[in-house]
Amino acid sequence: MGAPAFQRTLTLAVLSTPSSGAPSAHHSTPQRTLPCGIQGSLELRGPLHLLSPVLSLLGLAKSHLPKEEVKVQRGTMGSMFRSEEVVLVQLFLPTSAAYTCVSQLGELGLVEFRDLNASVSAFQRRFVGDVRRCEELEKTFLFLQEEVRRAGQVLSRPEGRLPAPPPRDLLRIQEETDRLAQELRDVRGNQQSLQVQLHQLRLHAAVLGQGHSPPLAAAHADGPSERIPLLQPPGGPHQDLRVNFVAGAVEPSKAAALERLLWRACRGFLIASFRETEQQLEDPVTGEPSTWMTFLISYWGEQIGQKIRKITDCFHCHIFPYAEHEEGRLAALQQVQQQSHELQEVLGETERFLSQVLARVQQLLPPWQVQIRKMKAVYLALNQCSVSATHKCLIAEGWCAARDLPTLQQALQDSSSEAGVSAVVHRIPCRDMPPTLIRTNCFTASFQGIVDAYGVGRYQEVNPAPYTIITFPFLFAVMFGDVGHGLLMFLFALAMVLTENQPAVKSAQNEIWQTFFSGRYLLLLMGLFSVYTGFIYNECFSRATAIFSSGWSVAAMATQSDWSDAFLAQHPLLALDPNVSGVFLGPYPFGIDPIWSLAVNHLSFLNSFKMKMSVILGVTHMTFGVVLGVFNHVHFGQWHRLLLETLPELVFLLGLFGYLVFLIVYKWLQDYAARAASAPSILIHFINMFLFSHSPTNQPLFHGQEAVQSALVILALVMVPVLLLGTPLFLHWRHRSRSQRGPAGRQPDEDKSGILDSSDASVAGWGPDEEKAGCPEDGEEAEFVLSEVLMHQAIHTIEFCLGCISNTASYLRLWALSLAHAQLSEVLWAMVMRSGLGLGRKLGVAAVALVPIFAAFAVLTVAILLVMEGLSAFLHALRLHWVEFQNKFYSGTGYKLSPFTFASEEG
Amino acid sequence: MLEGAEFYFNVDHGYLEGLVRGCKASLLTQQDYINLVQCETLEDVKIHLQTTDYGNFLANQTNPLTVSKIDTEMRKKLCREFEYFRNHSLEPLSTFFTYMTCSYMIDNVILLMNGALQKKSVKEILVKCHPLGRFTEMEAVNIAETPSDLFNAVLVETPLAPFFQDCMSENTLDELNIELLRNKLYKSYLEAFYKFCKNHGDVTAEIMCPILEFEADRRAFIITLNSFGTELSKDDRETLYPTCGKLYPEGLRLLAQAEDFDQMRRVADHYGVYKPLFEAVGDGSGGKTLEDVFYEREVQMNVLAFNRQFHYGVFYAYTKLKEQEMRNIVYRSSSFEVPIL
Repeated sequence: MGAPAFQRTLTLAVLSTPSSGAPSAHHSTPQRTLPCGIQGSLELRGPLHLLSPVLSLLGLAKSHLPKEEVKVQRGTMGSMFRSEEVVLVQLFLPTSAAYTCVSQLGELGLVEFRDLNASVSAFQRRFVGDVRRCEELEKTFLFLQEEVRRAGQVLSRPEGRLPAPPPRDLLRIQEETDRLAQELRDVRGNQQSLQVQLHQLRLHAAVLGQGHSPPLAAAHADGPSERIPLLQPPGGPHQDLRVNFVAGAVEPSKAAALERLLWRACRGFLIASFRETEQQLEDPVTGEPSTWMTFLISYWGEQIGQKIRKITDCFHCHIFPYAEHEEGRLAALQQVQQQSHELQEVLGETERFLSQVLARVQQLLPPWQVQIRKMKAVYLALNQCSVSATHKCLIAEGWCAARDLPTLQQALQDSSSEAGVSAVVHRIPCRDMPPTLIRTNCFTASFQGIVDAYGVGRYQEVNPAPYTIITFPFLFAVMFGDVGHGLLMFLFALAMVLTENQPAVKSAQNEIWQTFFSGRYLLLLMGLFSVYTGFIYNECFSRATAIFSSGWSVAAMATQSDWSDAFLAQHPLLALDPNVSGVFLGPYPFGIDPIWSLAVNHLSFLNSFKMKMSVILGVTHMTFGVVLGVFNHVHFGQWHRLLLETLPELVFLLGLFGYLVFLIVYKWLQDYAARAASAPSILIHFINMFLFSHSPTNQPLFHGQEAVQSALVILALVMVPVLLLGTPLFLHWRHRSRSQRGPAGRQPDEDKSGILDSSDASVAGWGPDEEKAGCPEDGEEAEFVLSEVLMHQAIHTIEFCLGCISNTASYLRLWALSLAHAQLSEVLWAMVMRSGLGLGRKLGVAAVALVPIFAAFAVLTVAILLVMEGLSAFLHALRLHWVEFQNKFYSGTGYKLSPFTFASEEG
Repeated sequence: MLEGAEFYFNVDHGYLEGLVRGCKASLLTQQDYINLVQCETLEDVKIHLQTTDYGNFLANQTNPLTVSKIDTEMRKKLCREFEYFRNHSLEPLSTFFTYMTCSYMIDNVILLMNGALQKKSVKEILVKCHPLGRFTEMEAVNIAETPSDLFNAVLVETPLAPFFQDCMSENTLDELNIELLRNKLYKSYLEAFYKFCKNHGDVTAEIMCPILEFEADRRAFIITLNSFGTELSKDDRETLYPTCGKLYPEGLRLLAQAEDFDQMRRVADHYGVYKPLFEAVGDGSGGKTLEDVFYEREVQMNVLAFNRQFHYGVFYAYTKLKEQEMRNIVYRSSSFEVPIL
């Protein structure tokens, strides 16, 4: 009796969900939750965004009007909807004011310069001399900086705004820097030579002081034994046999090699003893303390002596005079110590002076560095300009947002007013694709970032970012639906949002932290939406909440079907039959009825619901993507694509999968509680639809279903050839008719405009390079190859048609991930928290044990459910947007406008 | 060693091979050379080199820039890379690296001995020594008066020691003897290196053996060419030829008998590899010299070495290619220096 009861209960409970509005929320939210309240400056508003396509339609309808006006009008509104209008401008900078103008532009960051000297190599450009001087200066700065760092001090960051210095200041800065560097070099050189001297003296002292006791002959046992007496302490009575000494110091790493070489080269005509210094001596070059090996070599024979000297030379040993007599050595030692005392005093004096110089460097260097960096940037930008024929002005070309043109004009006027001749900016026509500019604020930036990570949009293409603001967190939340987890995420994001202006939070260098911080608004919305879907799934840390009373009554069932004690004892599972009057009172007001969390068939019920919901969301999302393509076609004036691509695509998608959605919704709206056993199966229906057959056991959902289905399938299949051949044939036809008409009608027009352009160019004094950069030949129209277009369209068609099926299936990840999340949190609750709560009835034991258990629960919740599951859901939401949604309309083949700005120089 | 380097090569040497291939990608391209040709001063060369992988290697040099400074800095850079490879290498690659440095060490030793002969100061000579061939005892070379002295005192601990077996003699070191010493050392060095590669087997042998064979034959040709008109007897000459090349044994015997360039050319004509090379040599006025032709052939072989994977030849090839590049840059730069008459 179990199975049908489940079936019945299942169907009935599903009935409650459409009223709760989970799927429909998808579409109603964009207007509702747009976050104007959080960031006042957000430009996108609901009504506007709906209006904009209409306005753009108007704009195109008015295309006989001067194009500028309409475009500007469009550009000023809804800059989020598509990228802003960017125009190619030509700047005429009077030679005398070019520098100030460009430096002003750098401060403002409005124009992206185009390189007009692309064919000129780096060292043949106009301002290469100035750039080189800046580099020289930077080299000196580097030296100064290194010196400061070596002294163990840090350079402070410069404060306040530092404009690029006027060119004449370069000389002054250069002179001062050179003077400073020279001074520093002198002092440093002095200090070093003093240190080297001191080091030498100390080594000498060490050599003398260690007073090599008479070298033991035993160390060199193979030396001829009759010579041992000759090696008595110096000062002994051996005047007839002259024993000479070489004493010195060598680095420890070389000592062994030296000793061996000495031995091999001189074959025992010497005795050497090596000893490590007791004190560590500071190395004058690196400043690191190190020990040295001192050695004393006694030898006889002048030739051997020469050899020894050569060898010690090659090992860079320090050789010191070594008196033969004890007294002499003591005297020398005293003298050396005296000298080193004096030297230390001088050294101290030098170091004081050095620190004074360094303090001056510390004060002057940081602002200079910023200024020179800016100056170099300006010259590099000027290097991209070409020179007019008369040499009176420089000509720069660049991309600039149409909206910023007045600002640009004003800035140029202001900065060139001193020169007497005003800098001029004017727009020039261009056939290159302009860069994409979409202004963002701190709220929209992260969403735009998601889109840009896939690919920067083509110029003026529909920008998916505004829709992503809602759909992304929503799809995430479908997979992450849990009130508790969502709330935690929301609070975390809220904390970041509230503290975003605190410098400590802002300037944290941790990379992981920065990632989270830059996505704080995204997290905020994701958390918020998760709370919402959590309420719909009725889950809070995997527990159901009963805010309203359940729609099912167990009491009614018990009284109506007379459950006796014996019956209850025999049956561990009890079925609630909604056909029994009073058992099912009506749908739960919002979300899933909490009674389901007690049911055994909880999972199969939720699976059915989530799977259908995923399909509905997916089809809606994809259809929305296809519809957005309409605005692209309209904007770019490709009307034929509207009819030959978007329409077939829509018919194909809606005819097959839209119908599936219809079936799901239609079945939800029917009441099958009474005839649960004979309820139709959508799956079988959908399969039969493609096979043009019907199964007798599966009842039709509505009258005439088969005819409708056949019609839809045929319609969808007819659309495939239209999609495949429509655009290529149309383009072919248009190309043919144009080329036939061409010689008679069109060509002269183009020629004339070409002449006009070139005459204009010669007036402006363009060189050949600039012309090339200004109007590169666009071969798109001229070269029309049918096979290529056909191939392209065939790929697109196959991709779309197969994509419809696979993408719909892909949206089932919403179901899978949300299932996984729910199950994981269920497991965590059951394995950790519930076992903890069931520990014992004794209050004390449970209370003590619950502390670590709750800690474990909390840690695991955050680590696994929030971080790990969150990342995985994020990834899948990202994929659904990039692949399933954006490939319906978004090409993402543009490039960003990157204006010339000093932002990086100041940092 | 087992065949099938691809199974285990990457465990020990994969990182270094990847690194050296990355380094190879940084060699100057045709475009870079075109730009270099356009340069008008040394500063231009410097600016252009900055845009390549050389980067700011001249940034810390004080003006004025000279060719020798550029050369030294480039050598230092190569040396840094080589040291890095060497420090991170495992056996038997590290032995391979040692073999590679040996040729530079031989050159340095000979250079120092020549310097000592001409009573030049060691410091002066040291600047000219190749940094890849440096070793600690190097500067003590001039204490030796005979080859056996040199061996016993100075070189016995260096990797050069095994090559000395054939050159032990009590002759005093005059100019000719030094030259003979150099060639004998080189001969045993090449033979040892060849044997090492051959024994290593695998792809390394397939790549390195032809390169070393060519190197050996080149030396044989050059020795022959240089010995024309000197007092070197033909028998002595034959003892100097490295015997690991393709010319061994017949070609070497014929070469030993050669008396002028034409006879040498006739010997080369018997060998398919060397015939085209000698044909490419211009006759006297203009055209390429034999040396240029050999360089070209060497570069070609080294470039081809990069077509195979899992072998040590890439390190050798990279070093040689880099050296050729440095020669090119120095050649280009030296044309700016005003010749002082």
